[in-house]
Amino acid sequence: MQTRFNLKKLLWPVVLVAVVLFSLGLGRDVAPATAQAGGPADGIICTDGPTFNLNTRTGYVLTPDGNVVYMWGYSAGNDAFQHPSPVLCVNEGDTVTVILHNSLPYDVSISFPGQENVFADGQPVQPQFDAGVLTSLTNIAPKNGGSITYTFVASRPGTFLYQSGTDPAIQVRMGLFGALIVRPAAGSYYVYNDAASASTSEFNHAVGAEVMTLQSEIDPYLNQAVEQAVMAGGGPISFNMANYHPRYWFVNGRGFPDTIAPNFASWLPSQPYGALVHIEPNSLANPLPYLERFLNVTSQATPFHPHGKNGLIIGQDGNPLRGPGGEDLSYETFALVSTSGQTYEALFRWYNREEYSTSNPITVTDPGWQNLQFGPYYSGSPYLGETGPMPPGFSSMSQCGEYYIISHNHALYQLTSWGVPMTGPGTFMRVDPPGGCP
Amino acid sequence: MSTNSYKFSRRDFLKLGGGLAALAVADRMFPSLRKSILHPIDVVSAQNDYDIFFAGTDGWIHLPETPAIPPFHPDVLAPAPFTTYVFGFRNVSNMSAAQRLNQKMKAQHSAPVFWMDQYEKTNTDFKLKLTNLGLQIRPDLTDAHTVHWHGFRDAIPYFDGEPHGSVAVPPGKEFTYVYRPHEPGTYMFHCHVEDVEHVQMGMAGMVFVRPSQDGTSLGGFTKFAYNDGDGMTGFDREFSMMLTEMWAEAHWADAHIQLPEWSDYHVDFALLNGRTYPDTLAPNGSIDPFNPVYDANGDMIPTPGYEHLQYQPISSLVNCNEGERVLLRFANLGFMPITMTLDGIPMRVVGKDATLLRGRDGADISYMTSNILLHAGNSADAIFTAPAYQGPGPYDTYLLYNRNYKLSNNLSAGGLGGQMTEVRVYPAGTLPPQTLPNT
Repeated sequence: MQTRFNLKKLLWPVVLVAVVLFSLGLGRDVAPATAQAGGPADGIICTDGPTFNLNTRTGYVLTPDGNVVYMWGYSAGNDAFQHPSPVLCVNEGDTVTVILHNSLPYDVSISFPGQENVFADGQPVQPQFDAGVLTSLTNIAPKNGGSITYTFVASRPGTFLYQSGTDPAIQVRMGLFGALIVRPAAGSYYVYNDAASASTSEFNHAVGAEVMTLQSEIDPYLNQAVEQAVMAGGGPISFNMANYHPRYWFVNGRGFPDTIAPNFASWLPSQPYGALVHIEPNSLANPLPYLERFLNVTSQATPFHPHGKNGLIIGQDGNPLRGPGGEDLSYETFALVSTSGQTYEALFRWYNREEYSTSNPITVTDPGWQNLQFGPYYSGSPYLGETGPMPPGFSSMSQCGEYYIISHNHALYQLTSWGVPMTGPGTFMRVDPPGGCP
Repeated sequence: MSTNSYKFSRRDFLKLGGGLAALAVADRMFPSLRKSILHPIDVVSAQNDYDIFFAGTDGWIHLPETPAIPPFHPDVLAPAPFTTYVFGFRNVSNMSAAQRLNQKMKAQHSAPVFWMDQYEKTNTDFKLKLTNLGLQIRPDLTDAHTVHWHGFRDAIPYFDGEPHGSVAVPPGKEFTYVYRPHEPGTYMFHCHVEDVEHVQMGMAGMVFVRPSQDGTSLGGFTKFAYNDGDGMTGFDREFSMMLTEMWAEAHWADAHIQLPEWSDYHVDFALLNGRTYPDTLAPNGSIDPFNPVYDANGDMIPTPGYEHLQYQPISSLVNCNEGERVLLRFANLGFMPITMTLDGIPMRVVGKDATLLRGRDGADISYMTSNILLHAGNSADAIFTAPAYQGPGPYDTYLLYNRNYKLSNNLSAGGLGGQMTEVRVYPAGTLPPQTLPNT
């Protein structure tokens, strides 16, 4: 409906919230911008290992409809609450040490799906039982100040989840999850050790060409119940899991359009990770694909649809898609499906194939702004690196005629935020003209 | 595309007394019409600045009345024999401007299926023109529309139809999308404005790109799904299987000036080419995308006995002769994963998401199955060889259906409704060669 599509109308409540946030020293914008303090504006932000000190934290995240939701997280060292938890990056063969300090009024743990021979305080991890009743999928850091140290050897490269193994139906959904990236011996611009193969996993070395797409969901009633229980000092959480019903779906802990804001955007103080792909067109001179590392912590299989290109899925759950004889079993898809708990890596290329330009124009007459509805990221010109006339009063987010091409969850009822359409699990591929925006 | 195929010629129209009366009035009111009506010109000519012309608008379609889903289904506003409010596309190719404007409130579901040859073969732009006729039941809404070709590689935003990074077509306006399809396969398209709503409301259809290999003889075939080099994707007959869903509350809400809470989404009706079983077996209406048939007003012509399917013209009945290779092109623009099962005939999935199932080094990763899983936004190409005719009836029947039985019977009594159709295998030589998909 127009009344809900019109971004200006959609933005009004956001503007009202922004006014409030500005009074708190916070701003809100959706324009991709330059780097903030803390790291590059685009691409994966690694917290480097192989030793990590993780502390439980509580805090709040902002949702695209202007709501605020209470969450939990793991943070590195003395860092404040962040969502999702840090991206832990290690190298193949590293002995990884994760020391968890738990200040929550509930027992908490970390499980490492896909890792073998994980130890907790020197002993192999085990499911925890109390009088025969399962209390945790793995060894715990006791509530109110307990600690535990997990160690394992990162034996194979790939993309993995780490997440709470204790009461995960609540704790994972509260935000106790993050990504673990194991980089191969072949080098940091490979996903797997296939440098010698014609079908390699080498990806574009540019910043913004390796991105994470970590999909999650929130039932705000669950988070509200947990917040009330924590404020009461712990104890029973008054929530019937039979009523669990997600209302928000996120990528990297944000909902579109916040997903395209830069890493560490100051107006998203606890949601540091953007999801913008930032590339230049592929060409003979720029042949390497960009890499997306997908992780799914939602409760369902999700189909993520990239406009304008197929994804080539090359690995799944830390396993390259190879047959027993080394044959290449990677496959293309335009709706990249990950099931709950699954991870995979996909390579993408986008060519400015027809190279339309003012000297090689499109073969139809542009009706002009008077006859069209302009999107906020449209430059006014069909051509890469060009801008064109804009409707009076219209403000485009385009800097230099770069292209914005969307990727989004195609279970479209999830591409909403408690009823607000075209928000949530979506992001853009930003294609700059060759050489970048001036 | 150059033959006039109106069901009634304008001359026939003039023979109708009622038409004469209408003309007498119209002639006085709109003198400019006189020329175009009294001196019909062949508008189906090379003068068209498009290959296919779609209109985006609203309309009514028919779904099984029972069991009712009060107060949402059947919609009390729906004129008989219809039940359900939709948004949709209509094929308005070759129509006069007056006929085209008449199609407001006459949307088709699912959207017209169309196809073209790979660009490498034609070296010709394919032009899809879109006009927005507005929404008759919701004049308060000024929704724009677009055509997003889902899966088109290397699309530029201008022709991608995603309204945030591009342009959309407001009511009363026109826009032409230009496609140079380099990758053969089975695709889908939909309006991307407010996409959760416009897709759910019905603005979704299928499009194929035919491989440049077509016309050469490989493995005993001349028609193929992909440029396979060996004929493994060759077929004798092809059928599109557009999978969509309807949440009755959302459709009712749009007609009644209400907003649904999308996170409450669930499936009430699961549709195959816009119909539920056994309507899926009913004859095709006008489905030739390049020679649409319509009456003098441009309206769709119902097949006698199937008046309730006037705006749901696409049949899903799979007719074939024994021994023939049949290509089923599936696309899912519902929001839920779907498993389609074919009982009694194994299928080979040769393509997914408009890609031949071969690894980068040429490894064959096609596979045999009886159940095809499609998530929202997936397409798949499955080929089967029709088994030997057994008799004794005129044909043998095999069922193709959504394995989530609730969605192949829509909660109706007697197993009616939902995503189900029949594959009918005839003795060799019974059916003539196929001339159009889904026939």
